[in-house]
Amino acid sequence: MHLVDTVEVEPDQVEGYLDLVRTLGAAVMTEAGATFVSAATTSGEVGEHIHIQVVWAFDDFVHWNEIRKNMVLDPRYHQYGGAAASLRVGGTRRFFMPTPPPSSP
Amino acid sequence: MLRRFEVYALRPDAPVEQVRDLEAACRRCGRFIPEVLDCAVGTNLSDAPVQLVWEHAYASPEAYRRYMVHPYHAVVLDRYLLPDSPERIVIDGPLGAGLYGYACDTPSYRMRDGVRRIVLLRVDTGAAETDVARLRTTLEQAREEVPDMVVSVMAANTMGAAWFDGVTPVMGPPRWTHLWEQGFSTLDALDAYRGGDSTMAAIERAGWDRWNDGVVKRSAELFYEVSADVAPADGLG
Repeated sequence: MHLVDTVEVEPDQVEGYLDLVRTLGAAVMTEAGATFVSAATTSGEVGEHIHIQVVWAFDDFVHWNEIRKNMVLDPRYHQYGGAAASLRVGGTRRFFMPTPPPSSP
Repeated sequence: MLRRFEVYALRPDAPVEQVRDLEAACRRCGRFIPEVLDCAVGTNLSDAPVQLVWEHAYASPEAYRRYMVHPYHAVVLDRYLLPDSPERIVIDGPLGAGLYGYACDTPSYRMRDGVRRIVLLRVDTGAAETDVARLRTTLEQAREEVPDMVVSVMAANTMGAAWFDGVTPVMGPPRWTHLWEQGFSTLDALDAYRGGDSTMAAIERAGWDRWNDGVVKRSAELFYEVSADVAPADGLG
């Protein structure tokens, strides 16, 4: 299953946010047991805040509980959380579970 | 049973709507996770710099572990709480990790409504077991002198370190070693206790450090009017 964080940032914070995810975020999350899936942004050429979507994968909620424990016990996680909060102006967190693919004709 | 409190310091700029959503999510938790019993929330009225308290309980460590892996916990509750969640509305609390709780044989904490008071205690780590036992007896017997104190339970804060499975410590000893959980029928009853002439009221007014050779090193208090879920699934029946 996937954890999908979609954050809203000012255009001049995009690189800073992505750098944070690539460095501290990736270290904390992967060492805790999650797998990085993707990062993507909306266009920066339309005069709006930019949305950054970061996706992490893990097996299920039991696995996530272990990851959560490892993160909470890692002092870098709290540093990561504080830094991320200072760079975004809003956002959402959602968990997605896979659904069966469409059947072939 | 496991009795548990989560205590939240809210971000000063947290949107009111999201705060209400977190309150409701905590209050209604038992509707979605049947293992979560006696759910109630309250807005802290003490000087301690925390705003929201969620009180609840579990029949056993196994029940607690089912709560930990339930989707409602990860998806709804943690949405507002985890440090990296984009929807976080809390801040790291000055009272230390905002999770306290204890094991008990029966739901002796239970009350349908009224005012809950939690006194967080830091008991001298070098205190003899007999001194701690005497402290517990004295605190729990406070009800005998204060009829409006409908609940009085003192116990070691085991949940502070054993938050992962309810039994096994995953971190060092908590800042607050013990809790004294009280219940009063009304705020007036709590005020009457504070100003009254009972043994414990006198001790609290004089300062814990002056009592019983200073076995209690520090204390902090929270109190709030209990706002419980009204759904039958929350175990208040």
